[in-house]
Amino acid sequence: MGFEHFWLSGFDQIHTAFWTYLAVGLQNGSVYAMIAVGYTLVYGVLGLINFAHGEVFMCGGFAGVFLTRDILGNRVGSGWGSVGLIFAGIVIGGLVSALVAIGVEQAAYRPLRRRNAPKLAFLISAIGASYFLQTLAGKEFGYGVNIFPGEVFEPGQVMFTLFGTPIHTIAIVSIIAAIVMLVVADRIVRATRLGRGIRAVSQDAETSSLMGVNIDRTITITFILGGALAGAAGFLYSLQSGIVQNAGTEIGIYAFTAAVLGGIGNLRGAALGGLLIGLFGSFSVPFAFEGNVQWTEIYTFLILVLVLIIRPTGILGEKSGRTA
Amino acid sequence: MTIISLANLKRLFLILVIAAVIAVMTGTPGSSTASPTTGVHGSFLERVSWFGLFAAPRWLLFLTFGVIAWLVISLYRPRARMIRRGIDTVLALPKELTTKKSTRVTLMLVALVVVIFLPKFVHESFWMYLIVEQIGVWILLALGLNVVVGFAGLLDLGFAAFYAIGAYTTAWLTGALPAPALFHHPIPTLWVIPIGILAAMIFGVLLGTPTLRLRGDYLAIVTLGFALIIDDYVETQSGVTGGGVGSTAVPHPALNLGFWHFRWGITPTPYYYLCLVFIVVFIIVFTSLERSRIGRAWVAIREDEVAAESVGINPLKYKVMAFTVGAASGGFGGVMSAGLVGIVTPGLFTFQVSVNVLVLVIFGGMGSIWGVALGAIVIQTATSYLDNYQPWGYQINDLYMYIGALLIVMMIFRPAGLLPSRRRAREFAAAKGGEEVHTDEVLTGDQP
Amino acid sequence: MKLRLNKAVVVTSVGAMLAAGIPLAGMASTSSAATAKPTYTIGVEGPFSGSDANYGDYIIGGVELAINAANASGMHKFTLKAEKFDDQGSSSLSPAAAQKATGTKNLVAVVGPAFSGASEAAAPYYSKAHVAEVSASATAVALASGTDSNFMRTIADDSVQGKADADYLVTVKGVKNLLVISDASFYGDGLATVVATDAKALGATVTTQQIPNVSTGGGGTTTEYGPAATAIATSAPGAVFYGGYSPDFGLLLSALSSAGYTASAHVIMSGDGSNSPSLVTSTSPASAANGVYLSEGAAGKVNFLTGKLATAYVKLTKIKASVAEYAAQAYDATNAIIAALGKTNTPKTVTTTLRKEVVANLHKVNFKGITGTIAFAGDGDLKNDTGTSAISEVESGTITFLLNQG
Repeated sequence: MGFEHFWLSGFDQIHTAFWTYLAVGLQNGSVYAMIAVGYTLVYGVLGLINFAHGEVFMCGGFAGVFLTRDILGNRVGSGWGSVGLIFAGIVIGGLVSALVAIGVEQAAYRPLRRRNAPKLAFLISAIGASYFLQTLAGKEFGYGVNIFPGEVFEPGQVMFTLFGTPIHTIAIVSIIAAIVMLVVADRIVRATRLGRGIRAVSQDAETSSLMGVNIDRTITITFILGGALAGAAGFLYSLQSGIVQNAGTEIGIYAFTAAVLGGIGNLRGAALGGLLIGLFGSFSVPFAFEGNVQWTEIYTFLILVLVLIIRPTGILGEKSGRTA
Repeated sequence: MTIISLANLKRLFLILVIAAVIAVMTGTPGSSTASPTTGVHGSFLERVSWFGLFAAPRWLLFLTFGVIAWLVISLYRPRARMIRRGIDTVLALPKELTTKKSTRVTLMLVALVVVIFLPKFVHESFWMYLIVEQIGVWILLALGLNVVVGFAGLLDLGFAAFYAIGAYTTAWLTGALPAPALFHHPIPTLWVIPIGILAAMIFGVLLGTPTLRLRGDYLAIVTLGFALIIDDYVETQSGVTGGGVGSTAVPHPALNLGFWHFRWGITPTPYYYLCLVFIVVFIIVFTSLERSRIGRAWVAIREDEVAAESVGINPLKYKVMAFTVGAASGGFGGVMSAGLVGIVTPGLFTFQVSVNVLVLVIFGGMGSIWGVALGAIVIQTATSYLDNYQPWGYQINDLYMYIGALLIVMMIFRPAGLLPSRRRAREFAAAKGGEEVHTDEVLTGDQP
Repeated sequence: MKLRLNKAVVVTSVGAMLAAGIPLAGMASTSSAATAKPTYTIGVEGPFSGSDANYGDYIIGGVELAINAANASGMHKFTLKAEKFDDQGSSSLSPAAAQKATGTKNLVAVVGPAFSGASEAAAPYYSKAHVAEVSASATAVALASGTDSNFMRTIADDSVQGKADADYLVTVKGVKNLLVISDASFYGDGLATVVATDAKALGATVTTQQIPNVSTGGGGTTTEYGPAATAIATSAPGAVFYGGYSPDFGLLLSALSSAGYTASAHVIMSGDGSNSPSLVTSTSPASAANGVYLSEGAAGKVNFLTGKLATAYVKLTKIKASVAEYAAQAYDATNAIIAALGKTNTPKTVTTTLRKEVVANLHKVNFKGITGTIAFAGDGDLKNDTGTSAISEVESGTITFLLNQG
């Protein structure tokens, strides 16, 4: 009886606060999607789970925070000022993250590629890079304390009310920014020469190099693209929750789940996966037993585990190595 | 002697970048309340004394060292190569020395004597405690993970789960958890040892059977996912496991044989001997496993699973076996830790713990029992020393920065580890040389 | 021949020097021994790194202030120095820190451990070494169980603070529906339980929840606060009480304010673990902390160093005395230890006998400290803690004292 009651009350809660959960889910989903693209692209070209990608996200977040809080003087923005600040935060966040991503590639992966190292070595190196970046950031910027960007717009600002539910500006900003950037990334991968190079290397690196594709450069471009998106996501995430040195590990696992769910190696899959994981995480909150929020995490990790065991190629994935 | 060549300049740039990174790594920390540049600022501009003679800013110090290093490397390239070769020879020494069985046996006996009489030389109970808790327990964990990663080639990122199962089983059966002990009858900690090991092994079977079909990285992520799920689940069940707080009331082991009592109190030395006995037992068991048919099956699966299957080896069965055997050591480590420290918390399950054990195994040389034990001793001793004595301005939380850098550098220059297992060293060398070597699934990373 | 002769010469001359030197050295040391006072170390165990490091700094400031005053006065037969033992506030790191402390050669007693979880974990080690622990901040009720004569504290325990919190919430603020959150630490859980029980007894409807903390390694993650806050905002209880530490409470407040559950529209309260300016810096936007109520384990106005002591404290630590929580209690704790030492015969080296004497003497001290009369009951709690708790509110980013409750 109690069990039934639990499910009914859960659905009831969703019914009353549907739009809130939807908005939060989409907002989180946009962050996950942008980060997931980085995981998926790198997996496509290198066959490697880039453990350090979460830290790339975190660095972009810090960059955006310091830009708006310290360099631009922590002014409360309004109207077009806010738009400008958000744009600046996203651009700088993306830029810094891209640089960090390149750094990781050059320091941790390229030397191993030169030495024909086995997969395990890449994985270990990735973990090492992740730890290194995380601890360095903690050393420089403090451990365990979330820091927030400047007040880019009025805190808690509500953009409009939908069916009686206030929808916060932050949510709309994140969703729109994510959609724009994901579309741009998709266009790059599908319609440009660079993108063709990425897809070619993902499918068959050796043949691609025979056909004249510069493997090293393509890989660098992949890291830049994934890094830029992750950095932008970092800034958007920091607007809501602040950034802390271990944000990368925590959000990274969610984003990676999204990438796997959508189909690893597939950019649209990453976007879809991000959306689904974000919504799922949000709508599972009322179903947390005794209000223990760990249950939402458990549900998400269960998805990760089940997808890997039952259908490792994910929703949109076919064989390995298809990036588009 | 053209120093100013493009290659040399690139090398200079690289060296200076590395020097700058090291300067920041070893420099002053920032904080969340200070300006974000305080750390970097201090790392470069702080004035330090050079050899106790005069003071100059750090950036100058690192620049000087960087340039000197560059000059040495660029001008004396042949010498540099000689040095490199010298380092390689030194690193290969352990293997060279221990090729003869008689040397190996003598070394082991010496080690045994040292280890048995060690407590006589350690005067501070604080260090003895660290030796058991930080080194002893972790040697057990490393030995266990070595079976999984080293022998069977399975990348397990959730090994901490077995450790925690052992610890929580101990807490439960001794009545330290909110959930009542089995049959409401708490049992003394010492008798929990076999049950704790068994629980971990059963868990190994349960976890392994559905997941060990997966390849390389996917297996890694799945094991990670499961470890995180268990961590969270334990935290939610406050009524059973004590939730986030866990339990602080695990009793110390006690042996009551009627005619002879012994209570392990809070002095670390008895734990040391208990731990030592079991480490020796596990080393003997694992060494004989390695040499047995099972060990050979593991090698076969590692090198070419398809071929192994074709000669009648059931990969899943042997992989699960590897998991289970590794879990036994991990579980015992958990029992040991719970009995000594008396505390169990969900913090035992974290990804960080699993990665720590992995670092020990990789550093020591995966697949090599002695390598892994030695690696555990070296890293854990260094960690304990750094954390407690903080020499040269070392900050406690910096540890993982150095470990991260160590992992990257190791993978580039010496992936086989400190004391590599001969087979693994051959595999790495062959891969480096570009040969087509049939290495294990983790190494080839064939996607499903 | 030449070589051997040289060697012989060297050896003999060195030997002669040594032989001459020893009595000289001996004379020198005895003469200085007659006038030199023994130096004892007072250990301070607490968080000195990690996100709760500010509490350790506050406490050791108070200890050093008292030590400097004692050394300068010249009235004692010994000199003192303080030594830190970092446990990061965590109960898993505490046993090692405790063992390090008890292994320190001339350590007579410890002010601390600072956090309750750490105290509980370290207690057996201090007991075994017969080292007194006089904590300035560990408030969990269970610590003063009566079975451990080594543990004492110069601060009221959570039964006082929790009761005052429950009283304030239900009777003064008129809260009917209360959500009590524990951070799953030994301290937070204890305080939350007291508040929940007392509030229920006063007639409020109480729900409880656990959100493991991040700051003391409680196993929580920063991503948990978002969903928790959404759920809380949806169920909208009249008031929320959080038992835990400032970095984590800050995270919760930030998440709650984003979810629309603000301190201005509802009653949000926490205990002494959050009562420090680090709360405001851990919250974002900082305005989300305004209107939050905080309690303290002692009556207001005696809780912080004032006057000349405050000036000296700022000079010593560069921290404002008005925000340095527990510094006053640490000052009193150190003076208690000094008083206990004064009644011993101050031997040159610290022995177990001396440590045991210190413990015994501590149970007999009775003096007026700056936080009140310092005298310990058998179980280690203060004999006459006033039973009042100071309630403060965060106004425009500063913690301002409101009233004494209890």
